[in-house]
Amino acid sequence: MASTANKLVLQDPPRELEREPLVANHRSIGWISDAVCRVTEDKVPLWWWLAFVPSVIFMGILGLMLGYQITTGVGVWGNHHPEMWGWDIINFVWWIGIGHAGTLISAILFLLRQKWRTGVNRAAEAMTIFAVMCAGIFPAVHVGRVWYDWWLFPIPNPYNLWPQFRSPLMWDVFAVSTYFTVSALFWYVGLVPDLAIIRDRAKTKIKKIAYGLLSLGWSGSNRHWSNYEKCYLILAGVSTPLVLSVHSIVSLDFAVSQLPGWHTTIFPPYFVAGAIFSGFGMVLTLLLPLRKLLKLEDLITMRHVDLMCKVTLATGSIVGYAYCMEFFIAWYGGNPYERFTFMNRAFGPYGWSYFLMFACNVITPQFFWFKWIRQNVWVVFILSIFVNIGMWFERFVIVVTSLHRDFLPSSWGYYKPTIVDIMTYLGTFGLFFTLFLLFLRFAPVIAIGEVKAITPYADPHHPLGGAKGGHH
Amino acid sequence: MKTIPPPCPEPETTKYFRSIESLENSPEARAWVDREFPAGASENEGDFNRRDFMKLMSASMALAGAGILGSGCRKPEQHIYPFAKLPDDYVHGVSKFYATAFPTRNGAIPLLVKSHEGRPTKVEGNPEHPDSNGGTDVFAQASILSLYDPDRAQFNGPREAALTKLGDIATKFSANQGAGLAFLLERGTSPSRNRLQLAIQQKFSAAKFYAYEPVDFDIHRQAATTAVGRSVTPYFKYDQAKAILSLDCDFLGGDGESHLNMRDFSKSRRASKDAMNRLYVAEALMSQTGMSADHRLRVPSSQVIAIAAAIAAKLVAGFDASKIPLPAGVDAKWVEECANDLKAGGATSLVVAGYRQPLAVHLLAHAINGALGALGKTVEFRETPDLKEQGIAALAESLNKGEVDTLVILGGNPVYNAPADLNWAVTQRKAKTVVRLGYYEDETSAVADLNLPAAHYLESWGDVKTADGTTVIVQPLIQPLFGGLTELEVLARIGGLAEMDAYKITRETSGLGEEAWKKALHDGFVANTASKPVAVTFNPAVLAPALASVTVSAPSKENLEVIFARDYSVDDGRWANNGWLVEVPDPVTKMTWDNAVLVSRKTAEELGVKNTQFVELALAGKTVRAPVWVVPGMANHTLGLPLGFGRAKGGRIANFNGKQVGFDFYPLRNAANQGFAIGAKISPVAEQYSFACTQDHWSLEGRPIIREIIPKQVGDPKAVEAMDFPPPPGGNQSLYPNPFDAIKAKGLHQWGMAIDLNTCVGCNACVIACQSENNVPVVGKDQVRRGREMLWLRIDRYFTGTPAAEKIRSEKNEVLQPDWDQYKQTWIDDPQVVTQPMMCQHCEAAPCESVCPVNATVHDEEGLNLMVYNRCVGTRYCSNNCPWKVRRFNYFDYTKRPITNLYKPTLTFKPTKPEDEFELLKLARNPDVTVRMRGVMEKCTFCVQRIEGAKIAQKVKAGQSADVIVRDGTIKTACQQACPAESITFGDINDPKSAVSLAKADSRNYTTLEFLYTKPRLTYLARVRNQNEKMPDYHPMPFTSQVYSDHSGGHESGGGHGGGTNGAPKKEGAPH
Repeated sequence: MASTANKLVLQDPPRELEREPLVANHRSIGWISDAVCRVTEDKVPLWWWLAFVPSVIFMGILGLMLGYQITTGVGVWGNHHPEMWGWDIINFVWWIGIGHAGTLISAILFLLRQKWRTGVNRAAEAMTIFAVMCAGIFPAVHVGRVWYDWWLFPIPNPYNLWPQFRSPLMWDVFAVSTYFTVSALFWYVGLVPDLAIIRDRAKTKIKKIAYGLLSLGWSGSNRHWSNYEKCYLILAGVSTPLVLSVHSIVSLDFAVSQLPGWHTTIFPPYFVAGAIFSGFGMVLTLLLPLRKLLKLEDLITMRHVDLMCKVTLATGSIVGYAYCMEFFIAWYGGNPYERFTFMNRAFGPYGWSYFLMFACNVITPQFFWFKWIRQNVWVVFILSIFVNIGMWFERFVIVVTSLHRDFLPSSWGYYKPTIVDIMTYLGTFGLFFTLFLLFLRFAPVIAIGEVKAITPYADPHHPLGGAKGGHH
Repeated sequence: MKTIPPPCPEPETTKYFRSIESLENSPEARAWVDREFPAGASENEGDFNRRDFMKLMSASMALAGAGILGSGCRKPEQHIYPFAKLPDDYVHGVSKFYATAFPTRNGAIPLLVKSHEGRPTKVEGNPEHPDSNGGTDVFAQASILSLYDPDRAQFNGPREAALTKLGDIATKFSANQGAGLAFLLERGTSPSRNRLQLAIQQKFSAAKFYAYEPVDFDIHRQAATTAVGRSVTPYFKYDQAKAILSLDCDFLGGDGESHLNMRDFSKSRRASKDAMNRLYVAEALMSQTGMSADHRLRVPSSQVIAIAAAIAAKLVAGFDASKIPLPAGVDAKWVEECANDLKAGGATSLVVAGYRQPLAVHLLAHAINGALGALGKTVEFRETPDLKEQGIAALAESLNKGEVDTLVILGGNPVYNAPADLNWAVTQRKAKTVVRLGYYEDETSAVADLNLPAAHYLESWGDVKTADGTTVIVQPLIQPLFGGLTELEVLARIGGLAEMDAYKITRETSGLGEEAWKKALHDGFVANTASKPVAVTFNPAVLAPALASVTVSAPSKENLEVIFARDYSVDDGRWANNGWLVEVPDPVTKMTWDNAVLVSRKTAEELGVKNTQFVELALAGKTVRAPVWVVPGMANHTLGLPLGFGRAKGGRIANFNGKQVGFDFYPLRNAANQGFAIGAKISPVAEQYSFACTQDHWSLEGRPIIREIIPKQVGDPKAVEAMDFPPPPGGNQSLYPNPFDAIKAKGLHQWGMAIDLNTCVGCNACVIACQSENNVPVVGKDQVRRGREMLWLRIDRYFTGTPAAEKIRSEKNEVLQPDWDQYKQTWIDDPQVVTQPMMCQHCEAAPCESVCPVNATVHDEEGLNLMVYNRCVGTRYCSNNCPWKVRRFNYFDYTKRPITNLYKPTLTFKPTKPEDEFELLKLARNPDVTVRMRGVMEKCTFCVQRIEGAKIAQKVKAGQSADVIVRDGTIKTACQQACPAESITFGDINDPKSAVSLAKADSRNYTTLEFLYTKPRLTYLARVRNQNEKMPDYHPMPFTSQVYSDHSGGHESGGGHGGGTNGAPKKEGAPH
């Protein structure tokens, strides 16, 4: 086969210009379907159970913690005067930030025709949705009277209550709920053709019915594909501004206030960069073990890893620039309160958290300048975890160190979380991983149709591809 | 607003049935059996339609749903009962004020007490009293809570039986003229008590009277009596004094009648270029008076006598101080220049000695006053009866000899607080019978035979004399809740006197006719009863014998001095079960729910103890284990031991959660050294303690939040304005107009407040007044430790170091150190202290309002920043965005749960004794103010209920006319009303003639954080530090201004003004 194919090619491009293929080992189209669907069809592997059981337990802990907090009072958490927000808002922003990579990959990279997105977009989108779900818990339950949360929505009611639209918390409500809705829709629309594949391969009745319902009668006809592509493109267009808007608006929660350390115009772009940075960090953390465990190394290749490392490097450097710029502005702005806040951030009682953040977010990604590091899954995995930790501490630094020493020295304080704070946060991991593991088990973890479309065989001009009768 | 109804009468008899048969045969049961449907079923026939059915069903479904959700989200079930008959002279919801008085040890505070539906709810000072301006102290304000204390003592058996026993005592001792009968009293000024005491002494000539106060201000009387040779009490006129030297006398805080002293002191403290008083303080502990001082010398208490002698040597002719040399380390120039200043003041100078100081120091003070010609000018002497009660040591001796058959203890708590060497718990038992009248079931009642519950002063008839001698009738506002007795009743019964009713006794003592009596009750005082000052001269002969025995030995590291101090919150322990007082931050340490071994930085360093570390403190064979707390400005080798905590048996608050609150230092205190003692040793213990301190950070960090000027700058607005933040180029412009500016035009009034920092001494009276007025809950030590105290009004207290010390500090970058390390920093050794009442600033462009997503905090057209509790969801963003951090969040259901049980999950939590935990305390609440539930934010409202009340009253008065503007002075906020120094002014800033407008027009007026342009309605008047240029510790600028100047010199690249030592903080305008 190869010999005939080679005869048709005039000459190979020079080695250094040849791109690493996005599907390794010249895998065939049939193999791709098999490899992805197998995850949902094979016997449940042991590692899945080993991961699932603790996840469910932690999810249960989350429920207990939230129940305790709602019935007893916000006081079970560590936030206090003057730091009225603590881990609740830190975790909210952190999870929301993680939820940024999915939509960026699926929408912006789609519009930019970045073909490598296909290998990772499905899992990243799932991660986005679950992360936003985890994030949404915090603003909903951190308030004093959870049962009145609906007052934050513009629902006509007999009390003549209406939200106060000047508050960035209101913008948050709209931004996050819109983001979640669009991301979920986008994800589901993308899933439809692949669910149909699982449906077609399903052996049990229940599976046939369930996937049949979920795949909305997909038949793979040209008309379906045509409508699907249009719909997908529109959704990608709708999602793209959301990638920028959500975290911009979350950043306005801080920037609109007049607290030194929050009140700064750099926040929207800096938050978006940070969110993408943390999102890619989390995608790497999740996909590096997954490609091994699910035996999908040929679909999520080292080239994918390499590219994601580069995005991390770029956004991490933007974040590092923002940190420096904040300091510059604090000095240049001449406001002594502002200046003190930033000095206190770095050298005050919470200085350790600042340096932890700085090391994780600014120094870590710089390792990705080196190709051998980008190619070493173990190093990348460890560095990606540092990115996650660093981004958590970024939110910690912003929320806590700004609040703990503000204008009046009389109200300065020191914030410590309680065990309930910690268990609630760990509990959201339980929720996240429970959902993610269920997703792995029941949905195609890679966009089968799209990956097929980027194989050489799908390219009509490729020697092995399309109408010229390649291999299936 | 919920209104608590008067109690519903109980059904007359409970119906029991004896047997099933009798129940079956009752008419009701017969009717039940005879009827086919139960009563009421048929009545519904006519109009029970589908809608009613739906209503019932949906209601029960809703209830079922609420049940599932758990009590956490359920509306409380409440019942209301109407009056069957309306009492005469009663309008529901309209409060009444009654004049009465709060008795103190050596005086009284005349009061007007507010009563709602028959229950007293708020204590206010009586401004009509000739010697009062309506100010009160922190204890009078908090006394209302003690009235409703569920831990109050009650009769153990029937009340009548106890009273009979008292009658038996009278009968028993009428046989032997009272031999073996002893009374132990507290200090008091009641004319009726004096009269009964004399009557008993006439009847029982052998009966003995003793008096004991752990914190005894009687030394002032004793010293004055000794000094002038007749029975007099001194009356210090701080308003006349221009140069005051306090010899360890905390006359603005811990000493007697401080509310009065604050009022008078503030009068001569009012800012002016040349007529302002100047305060010199020589003391060991940092006190409220020390915080207000212009020049403060820190010396151990035992060395104060040397300072007094040195001053006397300069001023008193013929006095030789060579036997008492100045202690090492005291600058002789300080003493000399202080003496010169006092001399220059002459008759307008005043020297006072503190109650802890021995008689000799008091006599020296009188001698100096005499030499200055101040006797009769700044200190008056007023005739007082000398009852010649003996001290507790004499009683102990008598008990040990077995001379006492029956001991009657009226008030006090000697088992807890008597001198340790008397071993009182055992000594007391040597009397055959111990009768005790006590407010609590405390340590003393545990070893008494007959315990009688004492009535609260708001439950009892009585009389007292204020410091000027004016008689004030103590009028009850409520029947004794637990049937308690007054001192007068017990004395009369034991004395077997004819009249045993407190009302009649009081009335008889007053000798007033019907109309005069009514007037006295109405006005709150008996007019023209003030005692007249008597002309006296100092008798120099008394000085020599008093000083003969004086030996001054300096304390050292191995030989520490301890000072037994009256606690600012719980006094000598009598308020240890009052939640408001236990939780109010100490004015100096800002500590709540605790006391500690107070120590200076250097001493702590020498002894090798860390802040909050436990130590074993040994003195004369006794040891106490307690943690230390480093206090700036403390004398070295001196330990401050605030009394009143560590109660073995005190009640729910004093023994919070079954543990003693704070530490008991009485075991170290002997009869011979009630004030201070030398010879203590400390050994550190490797254990830390956790304090609940409301202000962790001590330094102002050079921020111009509190501004200070010097007298020269009074009247120069630039002096204060210069500390404003430089405006941006082009001036302060807003991008869009503030919507409030348009709304403002609609308001009839524009409320505003001004606080004069120059007269504020940080006494906390306003804080408790606010708590009482606004139903602010007590949250417990754990919550305070977590920074969740609920006080709407707090007093910020900052220390500022000498410029040199501050310079070292900023070079070492100690500014950025964690707060728990600041106790090691050297700048705290000789600080200047500033205080600032801090509450909602009522910004016109309020940052809290714009960030609330649900419109829960909004502005009204009169400029109040309002908090709508019902609308609050509890995002807490408003607090984060409040630059003053004055908003308070209900993290738990503080008003519904016992604060020991805040963390119990709602579903498993069962209140133990709801009836006495909550019901009684509820009576203390102000029905005009909403009680907040958990999850909502709250804050100062400028007492909106008082504003609205006044507006409604004015509208009623105006009728059809347009005269609806409330007159200036009609509304006093709770804090303003309570402030004895009159530091707080409130009113309508629309009216240019109103007091608040005039205050705001003062050159010292400034806005905190003005550069945020939130336009606060609360402004402050800068403090004036009146230093003597000749003093060695003179500094041309107040430390705060100096540090500000040094700091801002940095941020404006050093241009123009920096270390200006020309006697003025930056005179030029704001730099650009």
